[in-house]
Amino acid sequence: MATAVKRKTIYEELREQGVTRREFLKIATAITMALGLKLKMVPTVVHAMETRPRLPVIWMDFQSCSGPTESFIRSYQPSMQKVLFDMISLEYNGALMAGSGTAAEEHILKIMNEYPGEYILAAEGSLPLLPGALTIAGRPAEETFREVAAKAKAVVAMGSCATWGGIPAAKPNPTLARAVTDFVPPGVPFIRIPGCPPIGEVMTNTLAHIVIFGTLPEVDELARPKAYYRHRLHDKCQRRPFFDAGLYAETFNDEGARQGYCLYKLGCRGPTTYNACAELRWNGGLSWPIQSGHPCIGCAAPNFWDEAPFYARVVQLPGAQTTINPERVGAVMAGALAAGIAVHAAATVIAKGRIAKKPDVKALKDIEIGQ
Amino acid sequence: MAEPTGAGVQALPGKTGRKRRRDPIYHAAEPETVKVYVWELPVRIWHWVNALSIFVLFVTGIYIGNPFVHAAGSGDADAFLMGWVRIVHFVTAFVFTLGWVFRLYWNFFGNRYAIENPFRRRFWSGMWETVKYYLFLPNRKPHYVGHNPLAMLSYWLFGVMSLIVILTGFFLLFEPHLDTAFGRLVSWMFLVFGDSFSIRSWHHVFAWLIILFVIVHVYMAVRDDLVERSGTISSMITGYKTAKRAHLIEADEDAAGERKTLDVG
Repeated sequence: MATAVKRKTIYEELREQGVTRREFLKIATAITMALGLKLKMVPTVVHAMETRPRLPVIWMDFQSCSGPTESFIRSYQPSMQKVLFDMISLEYNGALMAGSGTAAEEHILKIMNEYPGEYILAAEGSLPLLPGALTIAGRPAEETFREVAAKAKAVVAMGSCATWGGIPAAKPNPTLARAVTDFVPPGVPFIRIPGCPPIGEVMTNTLAHIVIFGTLPEVDELARPKAYYRHRLHDKCQRRPFFDAGLYAETFNDEGARQGYCLYKLGCRGPTTYNACAELRWNGGLSWPIQSGHPCIGCAAPNFWDEAPFYARVVQLPGAQTTINPERVGAVMAGALAAGIAVHAAATVIAKGRIAKKPDVKALKDIEIGQ
Repeated sequence: MAEPTGAGVQALPGKTGRKRRRDPIYHAAEPETVKVYVWELPVRIWHWVNALSIFVLFVTGIYIGNPFVHAAGSGDADAFLMGWVRIVHFVTAFVFTLGWVFRLYWNFFGNRYAIENPFRRRFWSGMWETVKYYLFLPNRKPHYVGHNPLAMLSYWLFGVMSLIVILTGFFLLFEPHLDTAFGRLVSWMFLVFGDSFSIRSWHHVFAWLIILFVIVHVYMAVRDDLVERSGTISSMITGYKTAKRAHLIEADEDAAGERKTLDVG
């Protein structure tokens, strides 16, 4: 961790580390590719790295398991990893930094004062509304967050807890946890990187995009970067042909599971989950849950924890945190309705019979009006 | 459509005799009863196309949600069972959608029985009387040749439920490519219905509500046919309902928005 931010450009710092011009151009090209940009954009990336200093990043953990940090440091593509740590300057991170106590907390203030409007606040975990539920260095976390976010260039919400509330906000939500994006002061842009945890490369590449272009990447309706969250896993899944063929694993031990059939009937959330797992995969592109035979649990989707059970196809009752098996509940409701109809039909028959037996004038008039 | 001609065709009873644009056609049947051309041909065609498409959509939709049959063989390269079921579901969904649009259009250009005006006190008081009628309570429900207000309300609810199923269904159809022109037509639904899981849930829940509607609708039609002897079921094929002449006058007065003391019997 850097203790002081030098205002040298990224290129200058790389040269100081003994990187040749030729190697630098290779790195810039690799970054261009990793960001999914056209080859024509290489000069733009080179120019940005030659003119821009490293990006100060304050990474704060709130109600989180530090999963996003763990995933962040496992951003593979080794040549990338080094460069990305050269591109940003990670000034504060509860899990990674050596410093602690007053010195660490004061460093946040130093960055806020030296680089107002220039640093990125990467936030991990949710923030509680319950007073006293979360304090950091003796201060309510919410207060610190608002203060640091107010002077930030942008807030990057890392992980499902920061983006949607995640597991701390799942039922019964004892700390009244909310997504950090709910606390971002007006006027400060934010971006959501959901996932439990998010893919390391998605986090590093999003930060790299901010360094190179000076702006947040293009986002969708829910403020997720389109490059990684515009497509469903279902549409990029290597098991998709089995879905279309109508071939499904029924249990984890049947022949279908051995043959690598679609995991749809085992509750796979691929059809409702937007993430880049199918393309980038995990652990340096080694595998991803569905490839390894486990249905997606939709960890990048809002409220995924309350959409349990994970191993069944369910839908959520709108407005409730209750999932149901739609076919079973629908069939029960239809059955109940049929029973009600039978009762009503019987009542109709009885009412008509009673009318026939008592042909008194008043009743007849009532009934004829009724008809 | 072919309008019935000949001596049976009558002008609106009790009126000036001039036929207004949305007036239905009446046929004298017996001294006390008339046959009324209630459901015009486009409505009848729509009704049965809609019924068939709901059936197909429901069966294929249940399969898509829970594939209860596996493709024959294992690993068969040309198996495409789910694919075909989805294609049938999608094509039928377009039929259902076009039907919905047509029926909305027909509200304005069909005959008077195409829609009832809800912005009248009489509509709501009639509904209250109809509810009491179905609960076997003493009531003053007038005889309705077309839809009674409660039935009309159920059809509006059906229309809204259909719209939600159509919208969420198109989201699911275009979901794989939200950044295309078609995708942009539906991606706003994230902000209305919530995330993909929620949109899917709305689709399932409203599909089931439509099925519950269908069950009630069929029961009511059968019941009405048996209790009222009005030819309700055959009317959706022939277009004609049988009504007492006295009822007809009352119904027409009602449709004309005029108050009239009930004079039944």
